[in-house]
Parts: sequence; structure tokens; C-alpha cells
Amino acid sequence: MADIQERPHKKRRFFVDGPEQDASFEPQASLPDEIDALPEAEDFSSTANDVTKTHTDDGFDRDMFKAVTGAELREEAFKALRVEFGSNVERAINAYFDGSWKPPPVKKQTEESAFVEASQPHSSNPPASSTPPTASKPAPSPPRPPGLDSMPAKRYIGALGVNGWSTKSGSGLLKDGDVVKIERPVQPSGPQKTAARGGKAKQVGRKNPDVVVRFTDTRGYELGRLEQDVATWMSALIDQKVCHFEGHCIYAPERLRTNDTVILQLRCYLLKGTFEAANFIKPQENNRETGIFEAKETKDERNLRMRQIGLVKLFSEINLQPSRVNATTAKHKREGILQAAEIAEQYEDSSATTKKPSSGKSTPAENGGSSPPSEENEEGEELEQDQLDTLYKKAQSFDFNTPVAEPAVTFVMDLRKYQKQALYWMLNKETSQEPGGHKEQQSMHPLWEEYSWPVKDVEDKDLPAVSGQDSFYVNPYSGELSLDFPVQEQNCLGGVLADEMGLGKTIEMLSLIHTHTSPEQEAAMASASSKKVETVNSLPRLSRTSSTIEPAPATTLVIAPMSLLAQWASEAEKASKAGTLKVLVYYGTEKNIDLKTLCCASNAASAPNVVITSYGVVLSESNTVASAHGGNKGASNGLFSLDYWRIILDEAHMIKNRQSKTARACYELSATHRWVLTGTPIVNRLEDLFSLVRFLRVEPWANFSFWKTFITTPFEKGEFVRALDVVQTVLEPLVLRRTKDMKTPDGEALVPLPPRTIDIEKVILSPPEREVYNHIFARAKRTFAANVEAGTLMKSYTTIFAQILRLRQSCCHPVLTRNKAILAEEDSAAAESDIANGLADDMDLSALLERFQAEEGEQDAARFGSHVLKQIQEEADMECPICSEEPMVEQAVTGCWHSACRGCLLDYIEHQTAKGEVARCFNCREPINARDVFEVVRHDDDDDDDSSEQEVGRLTQAMDIDGDDEEDLYSCTQRPSSAPAKTKPPARITLRRVNQLSSAKITTLLTQLRHIKRASPTTKVVVFSQFTSFLDLLAPALSAASISSLRFDGSMSQKARTSTLATFNERPKFTVLLLSLRAGGVGLNLTCASRVFMMDPWWSFAVEAQAIDRVHRMGQTEPVKVVRFVVEGSIEEKMLRVQDRKKFIASSLGMMSDEEKKAQRIEDIRELLS
Amino acid sequence: MTAPLPKRIIKETERLQTEPVPGISAQPHDDNARYFDVTVQGPDGSCYEGGVFNLELFLPDDYPMTPPRIRFLTRIYHPNIDRLGRICLDVLKNNWSPALQIRTILLSIQALLGAPNPEDPLNEAVAKQWKDNQAEAIKNAREWTKLYAQPKE
Repeated sequence: MADIQERPHKKRRFFVDGPEQDASFEPQASLPDEIDALPEAEDFSSTANDVTKTHTDDGFDRDMFKAVTGAELREEAFKALRVEFGSNVERAINAYFDGSWKPPPVKKQTEESAFVEASQPHSSNPPASSTPPTASKPAPSPPRPPGLDSMPAKRYIGALGVNGWSTKSGSGLLKDGDVVKIERPVQPSGPQKTAARGGKAKQVGRKNPDVVVRFTDTRGYELGRLEQDVATWMSALIDQKVCHFEGHCIYAPERLRTNDTVILQLRCYLLKGTFEAANFIKPQENNRETGIFEAKETKDERNLRMRQIGLVKLFSEINLQPSRVNATTAKHKREGILQAAEIAEQYEDSSATTKKPSSGKSTPAENGGSSPPSEENEEGEELEQDQLDTLYKKAQSFDFNTPVAEPAVTFVMDLRKYQKQALYWMLNKETSQEPGGHKEQQSMHPLWEEYSWPVKDVEDKDLPAVSGQDSFYVNPYSGELSLDFPVQEQNCLGGVLADEMGLGKTIEMLSLIHTHTSPEQEAAMASASSKKVETVNSLPRLSRTSSTIEPAPATTLVIAPMSLLAQWASEAEKASKAGTLKVLVYYGTEKNIDLKTLCCASNAASAPNVVITSYGVVLSESNTVASAHGGNKGASNGLFSLDYWRIILDEAHMIKNRQSKTARACYELSATHRWVLTGTPIVNRLEDLFSLVRFLRVEPWANFSFWKTFITTPFEKGEFVRALDVVQTVLEPLVLRRTKDMKTPDGEALVPLPPRTIDIEKVILSPPEREVYNHIFARAKRTFAANVEAGTLMKSYTTIFAQILRLRQSCCHPVLTRNKAILAEEDSAAAESDIANGLADDMDLSALLERFQAEEGEQDAARFGSHVLKQIQEEADMECPICSEEPMVEQAVTGCWHSACRGCLLDYIEHQTAKGEVARCFNCREPINARDVFEVVRHDDDDDDDSSEQEVGRLTQAMDIDGDDEEDLYSCTQRPSSAPAKTKPPARITLRRVNQLSSAKITTLLTQLRHIKRASPTTKVVVFSQFTSFLDLLAPALSAASISSLRFDGSMSQKARTSTLATFNERPKFTVLLLSLRAGGVGLNLTCASRVFMMDPWWSFAVEAQAIDRVHRMGQTEPVKVVRFVVEGSIEEKMLRVQDRKKFIASSLGMMSDEEKKAQRIEDIRELLS
Repeated sequence: MTAPLPKRIIKETERLQTEPVPGISAQPHDDNARYFDVTVQGPDGSCYEGGVFNLELFLPDDYPMTPPRIRFLTRIYHPNIDRLGRICLDVLKNNWSPALQIRTILLSIQALLGAPNPEDPLNEAVAKQWKDNQAEAIKNAREWTKLYAQPKE
């Protein structure tokens, strides 16, 4: 009191106390609730700051004792045990059980028998979570005088000075040193009892919550109230039974009048109950979606917030500093809470009920714009590109000196150094928290702070210590308090492997699967060899009625997009020594597969080690579980009935929307280790990351309100740096990300990929093609102009767009424009109606196109006499009558069966036609025409398998020839090879109609393919087009040219895809894979190919680039050459310009609303038609 | 010479040397392989018998899409050949086909000498004479042959 110099007019800290502060105060015996020091309390300070808990080196094996007896003994009891039995645990256990040893009695407290009920506060907690941190110092010192054995009902934490104002007047009511009680006005249901909680909630939920805090004299007679600013937070702490305050007067006027200022000193105690987890009402299941969109925060949330603020303010008032905080999160933290709380307050004020608190601004997504079709709306603002870059840059600070781990011997692939480092990292993540793992890695939960209990009170009087409890822990973000060391729970035991595409995430994961197996699996493998049959568990099937979730200790579940299942399976096989890894691809449709039985622990020796399934299967099984089994996951026999050793989500951005059913289904899966693989952990919103964190169950971030408070809300308030910093702390321990362009400190590329070149091949349309193109172009332009004039541009958007589409198609092949299926691909309904209209007024175009159409059935097989074929065959070796080549280059025959080189024949026909003459046979002068020229295809050489694969389409075309390549007949046909074919040993010949009116792109492609084939006969080539119907035309063109090809598109079944990819991989000769841009854009590994042809440009080059990266990725050993076909002087050239411009727009069309998208496209179209 | 000689021309030239057609010769110029000096003997039993006629033959660039250009250098009295030596022969015009060759064309010309066709005249005066007084015409032809088409030696 000596330091009160003047009368304060505002709240003020009078007494700052701390562990080592000045000791000039007398004990205040008058305080009624004081917990008096125990007689032996003098020596506290020596251990005050020691964290003296479990000693692992005192020779007494407590874990063993605990495990056997199940007894949760106090520190004192252990000490006693050790004194009595030394290190002989066995004797101790026996003594415990036979009753010959009793734990020492709990010291009673001196006062307030109501508090004596000092049961072990945390005995209900499982041992693991209550494991206190290990102090490195043993306690060899003689048993010090014990303090309290357990947390008293309340414990002193500090004192503060406050101002109050009197509500009474009179003299002698209050004088310095008088004890006052601090009370809340009586609540309807009685504030002192636990039953009061309901009442409190009501009270807090009111519009203007009552925050009055009174002080009374010892008889309970009200003297005054505390000032509002203090009362605001103090009331919450009192109401929520966090704190108890005791006060005495420091200054009061001699004669008290109403509204006089009174200065009080309050001693603050934390109540025991508040440390008990059950007492803390967390806002329950915050991830339920309704909670997010509730207009107001719930009572629970508000309570939480009030408590949070209260604690932070209290600690700052009593100047209690944490003795330990997590270094990385120390900065920003407290202000953060207060700010966040204030922000929430503002929301409450300003948003009324119209706005959703989850997102202050309406985001584009909420306008229904860019969310993926099948998914619900996403919330949260999108990140700007530079923000994303910054974030990633931080996450990518990969330490090249990370140790490496060698994979298990059963893993047969060679890992690169950085992959071994990934393995090390992953092993670390998986093992760091295992029982008996490395304790030294146990760190305090980043959001918690450690505080030391004061050892002396405000008057420097010693306070009773509580043995084993020198510290308590506060989570200022949740308002939670704990006596137990809050371990940074890595209960996910997994993480995010975010290496950039092509660095080999799959391989890295497979190496982990091989290298880190569960103890159960190892035991099972061991016992499987010794044939020990156990009793019930070894039954081949589990009882049908078993409704628990069975552990599957030998199984890793891999969830991947459908198109990647086969690749996972084949890579898993490739990476494993034969027979060491059992792989099961699970489609969920195989009724006879009972996953639960297959994978359960008792079958661990024979269980599949890797189960590969798709997101779709997970979703549909989760629906089944929800509907058929009433949500009881154990009752099914499918994916959800097991607790896996490990789950891996591949391409995990598939679950980026936390509200999507797929994401929620994935959250429900159980596993010891959880991993997500994705090249883009954040696609464009911070919430994308949340969903991953939620899946990984990274506490506390997996709690959405938590996430929202510290990430979403600040971010939306524009505090980007802070939000991103927090994200950074979330990401850092969780994510491993390397990029392709990373360099080792020596300047070497992480993955020395062979170079990639992209060339643009200008294709020149043939005159008939150009005619078609020009026709469509003119029409599109007219339509556009007409709509601009009429101002109906947006309305007729689909019409115009459909015409643009036709233009693009006509660049590939004129007949494509006739194919409604293509239109359906791009822009369905409206476009089709346009086509319908188009067909009606389209006679010109029809005429133009007719030349490209195939004529069916004009030449039937009956007209081919065998003598004709014989003659043709004989002539084949003769000299060409026109050019004198011998034998003829690509023998062709006229309708009158006269042979010449195909080129000569067609040249001559063209020559005559050009002169305006009727084309006649060079030999018999019969009138002939170009469509009646037949290619003679001889099947005397290879490709028997090919000819069976050949589907001969309707239309194709021939190309120039140069040569001497005997087996290749570079032409295309319109007739199936079967019809006119006659076998005539030794060489079978087939006549196919030549149609030289084909597409320039096909011609160019064939030319190039042929050159490649000649130069390197085993090259594999990938040909991309966005038009599957163009692929339909390419296939027969290739087969006619004796180029073997395969087809891969979205319409194929999974099985067909698998076998296609396998064939492409394994076929030892020149092969072309025809791939639709969309089906082939994601995930596929096509590194066996080294040449890529992009037949048509897409709106954004990124999509093409992604396709190219299927080939140019990890594992590619050859330089990759890419050729992009662009028709000269066409819309395609302009599209390239649009592509260039789009690179400057932050992101592609994906982030715009439909309207914006349309507007943007209209802009594009304007340019395209310019 | 600019463009390399097409294989067809080379082959034809070779064959004209190695398997000559009786009564016909064709020799390319050293400086222009598309330009030939041609001689055709008058067919036996015709009014041109004993005559050796010189012609020039030129293969245009788009040969064999277009026919060779041929002209008599030696004066000849013939209804289908004019005073400048130009020849009226269908295979040299509309009936040309790339399947025809120098050899076949020269044979056709030789045949034309054996069978003049006054119904499709190029030289109206000669054709008229041929129709009005064939004996006189044949006599003139023989005289012209003696006069202009005697082999040098």
C-alpha cells in the first residue's frame, strides 16, 4: 500500500507480483478464502520453476507399474513406492495388489472442507494425453516437504487493482484494508452451482449482457460496483467459473457517497473446475455446415469469445507472463485474439441479419460462378496470385541437407536423393509420435502458453505449491485452461506431400508404404511363417454382425481419381519386389469382396497391402453407409468398416471444398496415418487448405471456427500478412513441397528433365478446306455483327460461340462441323439448336462439304473380278506409265482398273480438271474421277495385328509421298478393308478408295509421323485433340498409313483405359496414342512417349501445358518435342493471341462468374472475328 | 538446266537409244535434254517411201501431263501437216495421255505419213488436192520427198 502515491482515477495496476518480486508485504490473514500454506511450505521457491514430473531415470519403472495395476498414482505415491521398493517394480506391484502398500493419504486442506474433495483432477484422462513433459533433471534431492497433492479448488494466480464506484453512501461503510466480496448479481438459477450454466448462457446471449460486478462487505451487503471496463471481462470469467476474485479495499473515502471512487485490490484465483476438460464447453462440432452460415454466432461461440477476451485481459492486468510460448507463433498472437474478437463484434453490430458472418463480402463463388459443377458453393475469398506465390515460396524452403532414408529392400526402384529425403521426412512424420517415440520432439501446442503458478502472493507470502503442478497452460485462443502439458498433437501422423507434379509423389509414397509397416503387420508376417493359428481371430471371416470398425494394420488405402487407379496399381507393382506387396484395385462393385474380412487384423498376413480406389467409390459407399447402415460405419463391409494403417489421398485438391460430399466422406475414413498428395494444396482459396487439414485431423486447425477466427476472418478483413503468417505456421510442419525448378545448393536441378521444345507448325488449308472455312467464318462474322447491332450479344452468346466452335473444327477437318456430337462436347443444348438452324439455311455449305463426305456403297465388291485383282497385282511391280517409276509408288487404280502411281494418277486427274476437261483414264480414256481412284494396299509385310485393329473410318485422305518406304501406303480410305479384299498368296491386296479431299492437318500429321517413324522406329507419340470426333478421323487415317495407334478418351471404361495405357507402354514399336485433351489432361504418366502433337489450340495454354506435362515429367529420359498445329490465317492463330493475353489475367476463366466469363469470351470472340 | 530431269524423261531417252524403233531416231541435244532431233523414215509403200524427215521435239515442263511439242523441219506435202511443219494429230492434242511416250508419238507420226487424213486437214490446199485428185497429190508428195527428204550422205 505504500506505493499508492495518489488517488488513481482509472484502473491501475497496484501490485505487480511475480515469482521473484519484492517481499515487503505482510501476509493478509484476513482474507477468508486464502488457502493457507502448509507447514512445510517454506521451500517452494527452490522448485518453483522446475517442471518436475515423471522421472524416467529414477530406477522405478512407472509405466510398467501403471500398465499392470492400472493405477493412476500421484507423484507422491510414486516417490513412496520408490522409497519402499527401490527399483523392484514387481514387488511394488504385488504389494499394491495385496494391499500391503497404500498410497500416502492426500493432504487435506486446512480450510473450506468443501474444497477438500481433492480428487486427482485428471484421473479420467487417458495416460497418453496427460503425459507431462519430461524434465531432464532427476530429483535426487531428499523428498522435499510436499505441498498440496493435487490442484486445490482454487489457486492463486495474481492480484490487480481496480476502480469501483460506490452505490451506497454513509460513513464507515468501507475503510482501507476491509475485505470485500466480489460478486455477480444473483442469477435466476443461482450462480454458485453448476446448474447455473444454462442461466448464464441465457444471460450472456442477451442483447446487452449484464456485466455488473458488485463488491459487498463480508455480510453480503452491496457497497458498490466495479467500473465497466473491468466488469465487462471479469463478469464473464466469474460467470463461466474460470476465476474467483477476492478483494480488499485499498482506498475509500472516509465518508462514502454514491458514485465515489473506491480502489480495491483483487486477488485472483483460478478455479479448479475450469481445468477440467468436461467443464469446458467447446462449440461443438464446428464443422457442421449450418453453423457456418448461421447469421449470428452461437451462444457457445460467444461464451468462448468472452472467456477468451477475459483471460487475455486478466493476464495482462495481473501482468502474468507466459513462461513458455511457442516461438513461432508468439508474435501477433494476443493482439490477434483481441482483434479477431473485435472483428466478430463488429460483424455482430454491422451485419444485422443480412450478411453471413462467415464471409463479410460476397465472393465471386457465392454468385454461383466458378464452383465446380457438382460441388456446393465455396466460401472464402480467392487468393491473388502473388499471395499464393508468397505462400508457396515459404512452403518451399526445402532444406537440401535433410537426411535421407533408405527404402526397405522390398522396394526395388531407385530413388533420387530428394525422394529419399522425402522418405525420411515422411517416416519422421509417421513415427514421431508413436508410443515410445522420441519424446524430445514433443513440443508444446503452438497455441498454448505455459504459465508458472506464482509461488508468492501479492504480499510476498509463500503460497502452497501443488506437487507436480508448477505450471498451468492457457490457450488464449480458445480460453481453455489445462494443468496438463498441451502436446502439439500430431494426431494425423501424416501430412501433405505437395511436390510439384512430376517429381514422383507416387513413388515417394510407395517407398513409404514399403518402408514403414505397422508392428501388427510385421508380427503377422512373422507368425504367418510359423503357422500359429489363434483362436477366434483367425476365422476367415468376421461375424456378419460385427459392427465395429476393424483395424486394418497391414493396409494402406489409396484414393485417387478414376483415371489414375490403373497407374497406381502398375507403379505399385513395378516398385515392389515380386510378391512383397499385395495390391487390390477396389471398384466397390465387386460384391464378393468383403474388404472388412480381407483386411482385418487377423488376416494381416494375407491382407492386401494397398487398396486402391476412387473418390467416386468413397462417395458412393459413404452414401450407402449413411442410408443402409444408419451411419454405422462398422456395419458395412466396405471402405468405411476399417481403420487403416494409412490413407493416401492422391490429387487431394479433389476435396478442396470442405462442404462437398466427397470431402466429407473422406473425413470419415479412419486411419493411423493420413496423407494427402497434391501439387496444389491451395488452388485458389485458403479454405482449400482447410479441407486438407481437416482430413488430416490436424488439431486445432481442423476445427473450422478456429480456422475461421485466425485465418479466414483476418484475411477477409484485409490483414493478409497476418492470415498468411498463420497459414504458414499451419503449413510448415505439415507440408513438404519441392518444385521442378528447384536447384540444389550446387546449382543442380532437382530433377534433370530432358529439354522440351515446343514448335508451332503452320498448316495451310487446301483450297476446298479454305472455302469451307471462309464460308463459316463469314457467317459467324455476320451473326456477330448482327447481334452487336441489335445489342443481343449476351443473349446469342451460345449461338456465336457455337459458330466459333465450328470454325475451329473446320480448321481440323471440314466434316467435323457436321458432327453434332462435338458440339455437345463443348456447349450443349443451345449450340445444337443453332446447328439445327444452321442446317436449314446451309445449302451452300452443304455443297462445299459434300466433297468431303464419303459416298457409301457405290463400288461394291461384286465389281471386283478376281482377274482384275490379279491383273492389278501383276501390274504392281511394273513401271508407272506416267512417271516411269518402277515399281509404282503406291499403286492406285482407276475405276477402269488401270494402274499408276497414286500421285501420278491424281496429278493427272487434277491436271485435266484444271484445264476444264473431263478427266479420263490415261490408258483407256474412260472418264474417271478422283473419288473413284483406289489405293492398292498390300498386306505382304508386317502389321497383321494392326490390320485387325484398323477401323476404317469414313473419310480420310492421302498425303504426299516421297518414296521408297515399301510398306507404308500413305493414304487413307473410306472403305473397310474387309469388303473389297481378296486374298491372293503370297500378298493379299486390298483396294481402298482414295479421297484426296481431306484435311491439311491430317496430311501434315501423317507426314511428320512418317518422318519420325523412319528416323526412330520405336518412338511413341502422343496426339492430343480436344475433339474426340477428330480423333475418330485420325484413327483410320493412321491405320491406313500402317501407323499403329491407340485411343484414350473420357468415354472409355476404366478397364479399357488401363489396358490402353498398358499397351501403349509395352508395345515395342512405333505407336501413336490418340488422347482427348480433357481425359488426358490430368495425372496420366505418358513418359514412354517423347513426341507430342497438339492438333488444336485450347483457350488457355495452361491446359495444353498440363497435357504436355503428361509426357514431359519425371521419368522422361528423352528430349521431348512438341508440335502445335495451327492453321495459318485462321481463328487458331488468333486464339494463340488470346492465349498470350490470358497469361496476364491472374487466373483463367475459372475464377470468374458466368456473366464475367461470357463477357470475357465475347471480348475474345470480337478479337477472333476481327 | 534448272530442275533435274524427271526420271521418266531419262528412261525414255535411254530406251530410245538402247531399243531404237526401226525407221525412227531421236537424239537429245547436249545442252537441253528436253530438246530432241528426230528423224522419221517415210513408211514403206507410202508416197513418202525413201524419205527421211527431220523433226524437232520438245518436252515441256509439265510433260508427261502435257504432250511433247513436235514439228516437221523437213518440208512435206501432207494434208495434216502445214507449211510450218505443224502436225495435226489427236494424240498430240486432246487425246494425249501421259501413258504415251516419245516413242509412241513418233510411231503415230510415222503412221500418219502412211495414212494421210484429208478429212481433218491442217493444210487446206494440200487436203483439197488430195480429195480432188489423189493421184496428183501422191505424185506431188513423192516429188517433194525426193526434193526435200533425201537422206544426206
